[in-house]
Amino acid sequence: MAKELPPKTTPGKSFLVKPKLKPKARTLSQTPESKYWSSFKTQQIPNLISSINSISFSQTPPHLFAAAHSASLTLFSSQTLSQHSVISSFKDVVSCSSFRSDGSLLAASDLSGLIQVFDVKTRTPLRRLKSHARPVHFVQYPSLDKLHVVSGGDDGIVKYWDVASENVVLDLFGHKDYVRCGDCSPVNAEMFVTGSYDHTVKLWDVRVENSRSVMEVNHGKPIEDVMFLPSGGLFATAGGNSVKIWDLIGGGKMLYSMESHNKTVTSICLGRLGNENGEEAMQYRILSVALDGYMKVFDYINMKITHSMRFPAPLMSVAFSPDGMTRVIGTSNGSIFAGRRKKKENEESGLVNFWSIGRVEEPQKRLLRPTYFRYFQRGQSEKPNESDYLVVRPKKLKLGEHDKLLKKFRHKEALVCVLNGKNPENVVAVMEELVARRKLLKCVSNLDDEELGMLLSFLQKHSTVPRYSGLLMGLMKKVLEMRAEDIKASDILKNHIRNLKRSVEEEIRIQHSLQEIQGIISPLLRIAGRR
Amino acid sequence: MIRGGRSQVSSPPAFSNDAKRLLVCTGNTVSIFSTSTGLQITSLEGHTAEVTTVIVEPAASKVLCYCWTASLDGSIKYWDFSVPELLKTVDIKLPIFSMVIPSLLGQPTERNEKQHNVFAYVSVEDTREKTNPRKKKQPKPKPKPLHGRICKCNLTKACLAGGVTLAEMKVPEVITISPSGKYFGIRKHHKVLIWKVPDVESERVVMRKITLRHTKKMTVLAFHPTQRIVAAGDVTGRILIWRRFGDKTFATSERLGDGNMMGGDEERPGVRDNDDADSCTTWHWHPSQVNVLNFSSDGAYLYSGGKEGVLVVWQLDTGKKKFLPRIGSPLLYFTYSPDPSLSSMSCADNQIHLLKMPSMEILKSISGIKLACSLPEGYEALCSGIAFDQTAGLVALRTENYCIQFYSLLDDRSISEVQVCERNYQPGDDVTVVVTLVALSQDSSMMGTAEIKIAEDGIGGLVCLKFWATGSQNKDFSLSTIIYEPHRDAGISAIAFHPTSQVAVSSSYGGDFKVWVNHDQFQQKDPMLQNSGWSCHAVGSYKKKAMTAAAFSADGSVLAVAAETLITLWDPDKNVLVAVIGETLTPIMSLSFVGKSENLVATSRGAKSQLSVWSMSQLSASWSYMLQIEASAQDTSSFAALALLPESLRCKGLNGTTFQGRDGVILLFNATDPVPVASWSVRKAKGGSLAFLQVNPSSIQEYISDGKPPQTLLAYINADHEYVLFDPYGKETHELSVIHRDDLQASEESGQHGYASIYGELPEFQLNKKQAIWTPLAPTEKPWETIFNGSSHNLPPLTKLCSVFLESLLEKRTGVVE
Repeated sequence: MAKELPPKTTPGKSFLVKPKLKPKARTLSQTPESKYWSSFKTQQIPNLISSINSISFSQTPPHLFAAAHSASLTLFSSQTLSQHSVISSFKDVVSCSSFRSDGSLLAASDLSGLIQVFDVKTRTPLRRLKSHARPVHFVQYPSLDKLHVVSGGDDGIVKYWDVASENVVLDLFGHKDYVRCGDCSPVNAEMFVTGSYDHTVKLWDVRVENSRSVMEVNHGKPIEDVMFLPSGGLFATAGGNSVKIWDLIGGGKMLYSMESHNKTVTSICLGRLGNENGEEAMQYRILSVALDGYMKVFDYINMKITHSMRFPAPLMSVAFSPDGMTRVIGTSNGSIFAGRRKKKENEESGLVNFWSIGRVEEPQKRLLRPTYFRYFQRGQSEKPNESDYLVVRPKKLKLGEHDKLLKKFRHKEALVCVLNGKNPENVVAVMEELVARRKLLKCVSNLDDEELGMLLSFLQKHSTVPRYSGLLMGLMKKVLEMRAEDIKASDILKNHIRNLKRSVEEEIRIQHSLQEIQGIISPLLRIAGRR
Repeated sequence: MIRGGRSQVSSPPAFSNDAKRLLVCTGNTVSIFSTSTGLQITSLEGHTAEVTTVIVEPAASKVLCYCWTASLDGSIKYWDFSVPELLKTVDIKLPIFSMVIPSLLGQPTERNEKQHNVFAYVSVEDTREKTNPRKKKQPKPKPKPLHGRICKCNLTKACLAGGVTLAEMKVPEVITISPSGKYFGIRKHHKVLIWKVPDVESERVVMRKITLRHTKKMTVLAFHPTQRIVAAGDVTGRILIWRRFGDKTFATSERLGDGNMMGGDEERPGVRDNDDADSCTTWHWHPSQVNVLNFSSDGAYLYSGGKEGVLVVWQLDTGKKKFLPRIGSPLLYFTYSPDPSLSSMSCADNQIHLLKMPSMEILKSISGIKLACSLPEGYEALCSGIAFDQTAGLVALRTENYCIQFYSLLDDRSISEVQVCERNYQPGDDVTVVVTLVALSQDSSMMGTAEIKIAEDGIGGLVCLKFWATGSQNKDFSLSTIIYEPHRDAGISAIAFHPTSQVAVSSSYGGDFKVWVNHDQFQQKDPMLQNSGWSCHAVGSYKKKAMTAAAFSADGSVLAVAAETLITLWDPDKNVLVAVIGETLTPIMSLSFVGKSENLVATSRGAKSQLSVWSMSQLSASWSYMLQIEASAQDTSSFAALALLPESLRCKGLNGTTFQGRDGVILLFNATDPVPVASWSVRKAKGGSLAFLQVNPSSIQEYISDGKPPQTLLAYINADHEYVLFDPYGKETHELSVIHRDDLQASEESGQHGYASIYGELPEFQLNKKQAIWTPLAPTEKPWETIFNGSSHNLPPLTKLCSVFLESLLEKRTGVVE
């Protein structure tokens, strides 16, 4: 099998031109968990009218989700994140929606106080539940019940509906302000919580006779969202800048208050780490969004924020698909940030296996032995046998374009080549190599007008970056000295110089203000040093 | 006494007849290396000055191992190098620079029949003329007396052939002989002089001579093995090839085809004046001086090499070239062996490469100690130091090709090389990157290096501090941390390691020093703390003065940093200034604590250089000398200093014959006593270095002929990196003779059979590839200085900044003293 002699070894090695190493953070910049949360490839769905008041997922595959915005309810496919259908038979702004547990019906409330139940397939309103006198902000199907609906309105009344007959079964009084949110227990069809602007969360049980709340906790701020945690024994409330965890079984004791948002937390939902068939343990997290534009992931077992993500707008609503593949965030300016994880490979490979069952088994080739005639007629494409002694071809060193040019001593071409590229680190690395070869200034003097323009725009962009400024500031001065004539002759180059001037002035301004800060700090330092 | 570190490339080496041994001139001895292992087998000792020529007597049977050596001590010796045993000495009392023995290359059978006189031609320096110039009455006082001459020497009768002086030159030249032994020649300025060896040798036979002229200074000469072709290289890199030289002059003795004898001047292209050659062709590839020129043994190829470190193989008929590039050092000699597949190449960096011939593959390298690297103007002050591994007897040297070479002083061989900068070294180029400092921790598990990238026209300069760590098993250092610009753009003056913990200090001319801490030990405790590299623990400065030296005390509780002429003492853990003592007259160059005692030795250089000893308990100077100290070394209670002799004393010393060419003195002091305990005078002290080696007695037992082995040895390395180890406390100097192990020889005798003998050994496969080194990087500045640096869009939000800032306030305190 030996085809090739080992190549001639040369005593020298070739070293590539590499950018300087960057400092690594003392702590890991990305924990495995934050890696997981950033693996949702965020995609913006723009151009919805007004703010997204609520987002809800269907419990059954393919997990459609409904986004309530303005006077319409838009259904999206969670697979493709494309618009599926629009329900627009509303008179007023849609405030909330909820799928039934089998995903075939959808209840939606609007600010006129009307609650409608739609068939998801045909989008026709099947029932109109009309009893609330004021806008309704909360409607939900209990997760274990297909016949009833819970709603809460600005009149402070919580209603328990029988959907089929369009009748109110129970009116639950007790809230002294708008009821804006609520959640049904995941373990019990008869229990649910509602949160109100009177700072309280009340736990209701429809089996209780006197229609009084079973339990009440005070959050301390108007409550924007409330949610049961999967065990049913804990629930989380969001209000003001804080998210609080309460122990239901322990009699409404507060377990933890998470206060890392800077503005009002508008919505919380349950996120899940890992998928069912994955080997990662199923872990639940609380996702909270706030008007400060941050989405935070809270680990309520360790009581720790594990991930934080910023969006460019105040966030209004958040939802996480039951299959753990899609995360949707609604903003106040009418766009949705929908993130979807990539499918795992094994699902596709399963498909391939399915097809390969039908393939006809090929007869196995007979193993070639040195006693066979054909053994000596093997071609170049012959695969090595297990027992064959393999002469390993040494790995070829991959050289970048600029490395190749530098190897041929084509210094100017190498510089132009990296300037064409995107990576400023490479440019600086090549410049440093040219300095080491005493060729940088010669290169600069050899650049033609177009290339000089490229160099100037690079310098304009990066000469104030602290990591490069040591080299680039000096270079810029030299370039301006050496090529003053050429720059004067060309308008484009003059333009570059103008930009350059502007960025330098900007930098000077920043440095001035930083010096001011330093002036404030240095007395403090002095005091600290004298301690 | 152990000596070593001699140059292996002062003169061309020679192969033994079976090509299994290589005879290399190393100083006063000839070292014999095995070509299969690259290790030294034995050495021929007997000359009292540098050996300049070694000639192996060719023999039909490969068992015979006789060689001739010539030395600057004026003697020619005849050895049986297999034993090794001195057989004969011919003393001609003139320093011999080169010697050839033509009759050895002729027919050896002829010699055996009847005992001929064996004649050698030697290139000597006539020192008699110089010592007593008045005795010889010269008719005309020449401006430059001709010291070099070529003489004939009768080796059988052991005397110079009287009155035969073939040529006289200003300086002794190297004689080149043709492989057939018929011609030999020298180069003399722009000329090449060639003599024909007479067929019948006698003392007064007439030698025929021809001259070939050129316009440039010739540097090297080579004869074709069979034809009458001579090649010569000049300083500009040209190679001239004269074919059929000496047709007229030498024709009488050697019958040639008469048809070729033209005699017409127009038929001789390229030949100058009336030179006796048929044609002269010029090849030009080398950009600079040609150092190596050699025909292959069959005469089909010509090997050439020069300063640029590329071996070029020319096909003699066509002029086609093949290259062996990136040797990384100027070539000096090329020697081929009786085995056609083996040849050797000597490089200026004290390495001899053994080449596998048709493929020009480097089989083995015999590397000697590397020479000190030359530095560009203005950067000499920044570079200093040779680091010693005191327990293992290793020395770490900065080399020109951006490496640190670890050289074993006890074994006299190179252990390993660590590439500090990822650059290829090209000999001829300007020096733009210099490794300036190297420091080893006491257990030599950590190494710190500093390098400078020299700016081009004021831009692009960079100072780098690198920390290296050894793996647990192997001695190879791997990069742990790079710190760019550790003290802004100021150069680093010193690196010192804490004796016990993983702490280092670097001081800079920019006026501050930094204490660095390795976070390796914390890694196990906190898995989140991934960064295992070195990071800045504290920064200190004293009145913005340049920090010129730094040292930790033996227990690591005190850090002494020299601030120009003052010595500042710090608590390294809390970074608090403890005391300031001073001052000296000129800036302090080095600081060191003497063992566990309370004394600190400071040396300063300049117009009023000084060696001063400071007492830590009294915080004052104990005693001092006005001496220019080149290096110093510390033992438990005493220290040694290498002092350069002042100019005036040196002149006086010549007359008094106390210092013959010696410019330095090693003084051994007891730290409390200003009177030196002992002193030794040494040569080439400028740039030298000293160290005490705590050597395990059993490891040097075999070097010592008698007596108890000493606990400590003092190592002195001079400017040329030749070194000597001796016991500084011994009453009489132990004469340590280097006895080399003979077991190295046994392994190489096993011949190769079958496949291996035809195709050579199968290459070894390295399954475990070297893993990419992950090098973390520490922030180089104080955090509260850097967090506000930079443009605003790069600044993290204020909430993050604030916590970092306040944290930094809590952790560190600068001990700035105004």
